[in-house]
Amino acid sequence: MNVLVLGADLHVGARLVALLRQAPWAQVTGATVRGPARRGGPLRLDTPAALAQALVDTDAVVDCSAPDPAWRPDEVRGLAHAAQEAGSPRMVFLSGIAVYGHRHAVAHEHTDAPRVLGRRGRALLAAERHVGDYAATGAQAVVLRPGHVWGPGSDEGVHRLAEALRCGRLGDLGPAGDGWSNLVHVDDVCAAAMRAVQLPPAPGAVRTYNLAAPDSPRWNEYFIDLALAIGATPVRRLRQVPMRLRAALGALLQSWLGEPLISPQMLRTWRQHLKLDARAATRDLRLHWTPYPTALHEAATWYLRQARSREHRRRMPSLHPPAR
Amino acid sequence: MIKDANFVPRGTRLAADVCVVGAGTAGIPLALSLSGKGLTVLLLEAEHVPGGATRHWNGRCVPLDPLDFQARPQVPNSGWPISYEGLLPYYARANAWLEAGAFAYDARQVLPAGPMVASVDGEVLRLHGLERYSCPTDFGRRYRKRMQVATDLRVLTGARCTALRLDATGGTIRGLDVATRAGNRFGVRARAVVLAAGALQTARLLLCSRDLAPPGASFALDAIGRYAHAPLSGTVGSFTVAGDPARMRHGFEQAADGAYCRRRLTIDAQQQDALGLMNAAARLVPADGAGDAAPASALAWWQAIGRHAHGLARAPWQAPSLLADGWRHAVAPRRLPEVAPRVPARRLAVELQVEQQPLPSSRVLLAEEGDTLGMRRLRVDWRQCLADVESARRSLRLMSDELARCRVGRLEFEPGTLREALLHRPPARLVGTARMGRDLRTSVVDPDGKLHTVGNLYVAGAPVFPTCGQADPALTEVALALRLADRLVQRLQPRRAPAEELYA
Repeated sequence: MNVLVLGADLHVGARLVALLRQAPWAQVTGATVRGPARRGGPLRLDTPAALAQALVDTDAVVDCSAPDPAWRPDEVRGLAHAAQEAGSPRMVFLSGIAVYGHRHAVAHEHTDAPRVLGRRGRALLAAERHVGDYAATGAQAVVLRPGHVWGPGSDEGVHRLAEALRCGRLGDLGPAGDGWSNLVHVDDVCAAAMRAVQLPPAPGAVRTYNLAAPDSPRWNEYFIDLALAIGATPVRRLRQVPMRLRAALGALLQSWLGEPLISPQMLRTWRQHLKLDARAATRDLRLHWTPYPTALHEAATWYLRQARSREHRRRMPSLHPPAR
Repeated sequence: MIKDANFVPRGTRLAADVCVVGAGTAGIPLALSLSGKGLTVLLLEAEHVPGGATRHWNGRCVPLDPLDFQARPQVPNSGWPISYEGLLPYYARANAWLEAGAFAYDARQVLPAGPMVASVDGEVLRLHGLERYSCPTDFGRRYRKRMQVATDLRVLTGARCTALRLDATGGTIRGLDVATRAGNRFGVRARAVVLAAGALQTARLLLCSRDLAPPGASFALDAIGRYAHAPLSGTVGSFTVAGDPARMRHGFEQAADGAYCRRRLTIDAQQQDALGLMNAAARLVPADGAGDAAPASALAWWQAIGRHAHGLARAPWQAPSLLADGWRHAVAPRRLPEVAPRVPARRLAVELQVEQQPLPSSRVLLAEEGDTLGMRRLRVDWRQCLADVESARRSLRLMSDELARCRVGRLEFEPGTLREALLHRPPARLVGTARMGRDLRTSVVDPDGKLHTVGNLYVAGAPVFPTCGQADPALTEVALALRLADRLVQRLQPRRAPAEELYA
């Protein structure tokens, strides 16, 4: 089976390409729609013609490019159009938790979209509609809605939080960190995408699945566990008001003091009592979720190895010449 | 959701699977743990804000010791019908609810520095005991959002339960009468009723309702309101350090998880049994400090400021560290429990916390006069036994002898003033007024917390303690409430498919 992975330069996409390369049933091509072309890097498909060309003889396309800040929902419409012309391969689209808005509830896949949605939620919902339109033409399509992706290599889910924990800008937030984290290991997202590619055909309808590990804790618990695992101790208890002030000045503090960016959106997420119901994915995609302690250990080990290597580079610049 | 009970239409009868009376230390964790399990829960709080005793407490968390669960000849009426090991998983969860860090109470594993005092050997004294401190967490504020967003939980504030209505046989609760101070009255019907209103109010409600029971009903349990007791505590003596006072580790230290901890001195369990001692723990505190046994009042606050000002006049270089500690104590979201001078002192005070015997004659009774809602008021007849003070004296003597033998320092106390030091004021939190046991004559509830003679009435928290040990009750209260929540889910067997656990 020929599988095209879009967003192969991003965290989930890169890991998916690596895992698909090990799968005996798949011939994978990693591609990206933007970013600089690199030798040995993913294929660059920045024109409709290049995209149409890449889709020829493709059995399935997995679009993992939504986490890119420059991503726009129109890209999914373009992809659907090109795919339709190339013989309607199966499409798997990685959406996100933002489609559920700011509500406090258990979110099932059939939960109606809230009336008020953020910019990101609106964009993802628009993209899901394009996927729906594509499926309505008789094609097969699956939408995956992962919670917060973490694990080795995760910048937003691990690295940035660990840096903030280290410099005392993050810790136990009390009621402000009481929301559900809906963490999902990057390998579980990739396993779900691979199973979605292989699902029995159901043309004409979009199948949607939430992805979040059932044992994912509340944010406070995750912050404390991560801090203990990386040695950012003693864990600080932080007040809400200074956190909000710092978040409001986030970009300035980042550029002036080099502090890791904590945005107001992140603060809102951390206090949101929203829990993804991922029972359908467990059942249909036959997922065995990575246990939370295992995922935490992997994430902390990855971060510490990365921090050590960065420290080594800083101390011994002569051994690490800048890459050309 | 959280609502004011005055907005409930007068005379209505609310229905729920479980009705929890009291949104405090036990009630809030219990109700939130039942949420998301396919049951509807109604939580009644008499005050206008939930939180109960957690709104004002010192934050000290200590689990009971395994020996507290055993029947000991030296402690009459001792012995829990449940085991320490059975409660352990709930203790771990309770620690998280109270935000006191991990459930680890051994200083050797938690604190990187060495023991409280070096060079203490032998099998008599234990120096690795630990007490952890919560933020201190006010459950009403900390878990308010969870209570608000839970769709299967309804919290009514200002709702005072005035009576439990039994059916004709006296074996089942038919309903509850609820009143508000503004005069609204309504009823509640529930498959199970849990009283989690603290030792005094729970006993009051049971005693009031006992009178309402039909003649011949088996509800009347004699043990209700009896065995009221609490750990006794006070500053009992002084300790003079023999060597370098800087090597003593007796103050507050922060564990890796952020919780403040303090080391305690205890006597080995086997030694306690062999010598017939009741459980006791000692803390070494600054000699000029008020100690946390002192009542929190404006006078105590000014006295503390005066003491620190006096200390600063003698050692002005302490000012920055004292100010930082003052900030941590008064402003920081995780409070430093006490501000102590940073300069090591050779002379320290000894605070003792000792177990009290549960006596059937120590009881709470109904007074003749009633309150504005027509409920009879409560009269507390707290009694103590000289054996408690005598055991404390022997424990102190043993500690003193051992510390002298190891040449660590001199523990001095005046046996004559011990009684006054320990019994100088009634304890803040009584336990044991609806104690747990298997014998109907000496206990009120069974090991699950269910009243022996009523099929659907449960008691959670402090009232069910058969003995109090030397530990503050908060952590055990929460652990017992979480255990009861699990038992209730098993017993009531939710008819609807349980949702994913969302709120607890």
